Order: sequence, then C-alpha cells, then structure tokens
Amino acid sequence: MYKVRKRIGSVISVILKLIVSFIFIFPFLWMLSVSLQSDAETQSMSLTLIPKVLQFQNYVNAWHSAPFPLYIRNSLLIIVGIVVLQMLIMVPAAYAFAKMEFKGKNILFGIILIAFMMPIQIRFIPIYFMMSDWNLIDTLWSQIIPHMTDAFGIFLLRQYFMQVPDELIEAAKLDKSTDLQIMWKIMLPMSRPGVASVILLSFVGHWNDYFWPLVMTNSDAVRPITIGVARLKATEGSLFWNTIMAGNMFLVIPVLIIYFFMARNIIKSFTYTGIK
Amino acid sequence: MGEIVLKNVTKKFGSNTVIQNLNLTIKDGSFTVLVGPSGCGKTTLLRMIAGIGPQTSGTVCIDGKDISEVAPGDRGVAMVFQNYAIYPTMSVYENIEFGLKNNHIPKDKRRKLVDDACEKVGLQELKDRQPNALSGGQRQRVALARAIVKQPSVFLMDEPLSNLDAKLRVQMRVELIELHHKLKTTFVYVTHDQIEAMSMADTIVLMNEGKIMQMDSPRKLYRDPDNLFAARFIGSPAMNIRRFGNEEYVLGFRPEKGIISTQEPQGCYRTSGTVVAKEDLGSEIHYSVRDMYDDVSVIRSEEDDITVGEKVWIGAKPENIYLFGNDQLRIREDDPRYPDLCRQVLALQ
Ligand SMILES: Nc1ncnc2c1ncn2[C@@H]1O[C@H](COP(=O)(O)OP(=O)(O)OP(=O)(O)O)[C@@H](O)[C@H]1O
Ligand SMILES: [Mg+2]
Repeated sequence: MYKVRKRIGSVISVILKLIVSFIFIFPFLWMLSVSLQSDAETQSMSLTLIPKVLQFQNYVNAWHSAPFPLYIRNSLLIIVGIVVLQMLIMVPAAYAFAKMEFKGKNILFGIILIAFMMPIQIRFIPIYFMMSDWNLIDTLWSQIIPHMTDAFGIFLLRQYFMQVPDELIEAAKLDKSTDLQIMWKIMLPMSRPGVASVILLSFVGHWNDYFWPLVMTNSDAVRPITIGVARLKATEGSLFWNTIMAGNMFLVIPVLIIYFFMARNIIKSFTYTGIK
Repeated sequence: MGEIVLKNVTKKFGSNTVIQNLNLTIKDGSFTVLVGPSGCGKTTLLRMIAGIGPQTSGTVCIDGKDISEVAPGDRGVAMVFQNYAIYPTMSVYENIEFGLKNNHIPKDKRRKLVDDACEKVGLQELKDRQPNALSGGQRQRVALARAIVKQPSVFLMDEPLSNLDAKLRVQMRVELIELHHKLKTTFVYVTHDQIEAMSMADTIVLMNEGKIMQMDSPRKLYRDPDNLFAARFIGSPAMNIRRFGNEEYVLGFRPEKGIISTQEPQGCYRTSGTVVAKEDLGSEIHYSVRDMYDDVSVIRSEEDDITVGEKVWIGAKPENIYLFGNDQLRIREDDPRYPDLCRQVLALQ
C-alpha cells in the first residue's frame, strides 16, 4: 500500500514538474519556431508550431537589417566591464560584512539592503544627472559605472562567505596571509557556486537590460544588442515576426551558452568545509 | 627559542570575564599540556598566544619580546586547530605549502620542506589528494604537517587527537612525543583527556574556570596535589574523599592505595561497607564499596575472593592520606594542624 502511494506521489510530482517546465520553455520554443518559419507561415491565421522548411534566411536578414556586430561588441564590453568591476567591489565588501568587525557595520549593511529594495526607475534621474555632469551620456561608461555594484550580489556573497568557518581564516592568518589572499585563495574558491550565481544573475540581468541603455544612449555606436533587437520592429515596416524572432535569438543564445557553462559550477557544491 | 610568558592576562567576551589576571611561564622546549574541564579557557589561552583572539589586557611575550602588537603570522607560532581547519579547496600538498608561499620561500626549497614534513607524519602517498577524500586521522596529519613545515618556535595544539579512535590516538600520542624530541621546540598542547596529559607532558598546567589550579610535572601533580580540585581531576577513578571534623576538613586517598580486606585494618584510616561492583579489567580489579557516606573505589592488582555483596573493610595508611582544609587547599605535613588532624582521621569510624 505504502509503495503504491509513494509511486503515485512520484508520478504526480513528475507531471507537475513537466507542466511547470512547459510553461517556461514553451515561449522559447515558439520563438525558435517562428524564427525559422516562412513569411507565409507567420502570417497565416492557423498556428504553425513546426515549420515546413527551416528558413535560416531569416537570421541573415535580421543580421543585415541592423549593425549587429557593433551591438554585440558593445553588449560584451558593457557586460564584461560590469562583471569585472562588480567582482572587484562586491567580493571585498561581502568579505568585510561577513567576517570583519567594524563600527556601523549593521547600519551600513542596512543601507545597502534598502538600496536593493529601491527600483531603478526611482534612482535613474539623479544618476542620469550625475552621468551628464561627468559628460558620460552616450558612452559605454554610463552603462557600466551605475551597475558597478549590486546590493543583492553583496548580500548573496556575504551569505556564502559567512559559511566559511572562522578557524579557516585564522589558520590562514597564522599562515601569514593578507586579507586579500584570504579572499581570493580561500573564500572565493569555497564560494564558487555563489560567485557563479552572482555572475550569472548579473550577466542575464544586464545583457537583457533595455531601459538603462535607452535612457543613457543616443547613438548606435554605443548601443547594446537589446536596443538593436527592438529596432528590428521599427525598421521592418510591416512586422516580419520571423525576422524579429531571429534577431531575438541573437539576444538569447549567449545567455544560454553562459548558462550551460555555469550550471555545472552552480550545481557542484562543496560538502567538505575544512572542519573535521 | 620559544619561552612564552603571560603577564596579568585578562580575557573578556563582552562582559563575561573568562580569564582574569593570569600569570604563566611556559619554558622553552617544554612539552606543556593544558588540561581542565570543558569551558575552562584552554582554547582561549592558546588563541591569545597565537594572536587570533587577543587578550583584553595584560601582555604576552615570546622570548622576552612583547608580541601583543605582532600579527599572528609573524609570531613564530603554528597552531593545530581543534577541528583541523584544513583549506578544503586545496590539495594536501597545497595546504602544507600555503604558509611557505606566503613567506616567499623559493619553490624548490618549498618542495623540499613540504616533502620532509609529509614524511615526518607519513603523508607521502597522499600529497595530491583533496581534503574531502581523507579520513579523520589523515586530516589530522595534514594539520600537523602544516604546522611542522613552518618550523615554528612554538607549537600550539588544541585537542588534536580528540577525533581519532582509541588505537590511532595512542599511536599519534607516541608520534607526537617523538616529534617533540626531534624538533626540540616548545609544544603547548591542550586536552581534557588526563591520560593524554599524564603521558605526554613534562609540565601540566591544570586549569579551572580560567584560573591555574596547579602547574607541575605529571608525577608531582599526581603524587602531591596542591588542592582538592587537582587531587580530584587527575587520576581515574578519582581520588576517594570524605569530609570530617564538622565537615570542615576533607581527607582523600587514591583508589590504588586503598586496602580492601575482610579484616579490620590496623593503624589506618578505615571504614566499612558492602561491595557493590567488582570489575575485572585483566591487569587489575576495580572495586566499588558503599559505606555509610558514599561510594569508595579501590584498585587491586592481585586476584582475591572478595565478592559482590560481601561486607568488607576499606583502609588507607596515614602516609597515603591527603588532607585538605575548608578553602580546598592541601594541608601538608609541615602545617601545624597536621598532627592533630592525622590523629582525628585514624580515630574515625
Ligand atoms: N567567541 C566567544 N564569545 C563568547 N564567549 C566565548 C567565546 N569563546 C569562548 N567563550 C567562552 O569562554 C569560555 C572558555 O572557552 P574555551 O573555548 O577557551 O574553553 P575550552 O577550555 O577550550 O573548552 P573545551 O575543552 O570544551 O574546548 C567558555 O565559557 C566559553 O563559553
Ligand atoms: Mg577548546
């Protein structure tokens, strides 16, 4: 009896998981499908899920309808800039909040958390003026500097760092390590899943960012791929959905690649913490 | 090179004073063991010497130099932590090498030092392993090698054997004693296992509630305790005690010095009771006898025909009896009260 109930339970759980996965995956599959359909298929009233012929020409069309190499280059520069600066700033900050004692620590951390709860739409006007004062509007920098640090990232890294036993840090101090060495040689390797999640979240978040570059840029020379994809709609007068979706695939594919690359790291968890 | 002196050292955690005005000198090259019940401040004391849990006030000197302001890595001390604290993302080799690297020792010299240290603790085969693929005893050895490789003038070890099984513990005990002979540096070793303390130390520092109760050689501590705490803490089973003289004084004798007999012993402190347990351990027999006050333990090394439930006499010769005053301090032969108290003890029934 118990065995049967357990069996039914696991069947139900699998079905539920399939439903949830389907909800998340379906839009993507549809987008992929549309990006490979012919014009006739996209415009016909009946819904096409599997195109008769795979029309890769859509990708070529999309690629040529806007300066995508430029956009992708800009996006990459922005993302790499953001991630590198974030790591340089957030790792030491998280280390200090996790493992050091100093006056006003809790208040400072509270302020950071409040900042985290404030949506960007509230903050962007003062930041815009700041960037404008520094003559950075319409440059890559105005798309990097405001994202140099991220409250949620600090919070997440701090959680991971707090799990590193104090004895390890003390042992490292007896081994004559500086705080910098403790951070890079002990804390970071032990928090690899955390670091990977922070980088991944940051990558996905900023790669897909549309609002911020829209506010900060005026010219194609510094615009990222999100703006480029959105412009497909404007250039293609009569909505060629297959071309638009092909353009969107340019946006999505790098995220997928990064995700598959990082997922292994995120899943790989460290069970031995050096204690006992 | 490695004399440690603590002067008027106090340690507080917030408002909780764990150690107050402690003075302690640990001789250069000694194997000093800190013992005491859990929570008495042993780890706290080690951490102050290492500099990773600095004292609230007072000074700590190594070789006559006040090191209160010296960073932990520059004190010439190495510590084996109670729970090993091995860097989990580094291989055994990298763990041991880490401290040398930070001290900017050239690579080929590092390799030689690491190899030597591994050999001393028997880790040659395991150098490339990751820590999570090691047994408890092997992790222990990594922690030891990591300390040895730095060639410190002071070794601090916090219950390094507490997680090992009995057999490995005995083996490691011998190895540590050998290591001390080889290195001839100061070892400060924390344990709450008194057998470990007795067998390894040349000096035992017995602590209780942050105070030093007695500091002596194992033999002296066992034979000539200064106070009731020391008398009761060292030795297993513990010293038998009984209050007398309107509860003002305490007499004590060690189980192995007790006499057990069906006849009333003469010229001795004596009491009578019933045997409640007889444990034959092979080399010796442990008796528990219940008299009108308490249970009394006696150890005999020879077989005899006393059985459980039998009524027996327990005795102790005057020279084997320890006397303590109301303040828990020992009353020795040169104390004016001694002769009279001795007479009282012999007259007790
Ligand atoms: N970080 C701390 N904060 C507050 N109190 C502490 C801290 N560390 C230790 N203590 C207290 O100080 C006292 C001594 O602790 P310590 O760790 O030195 O004991 P110990 O002798 O090493 O005990 P054990 O044999 O159990 O390891 C204990 O009462 C403990 O609660
Ligand atoms: Mg301890």
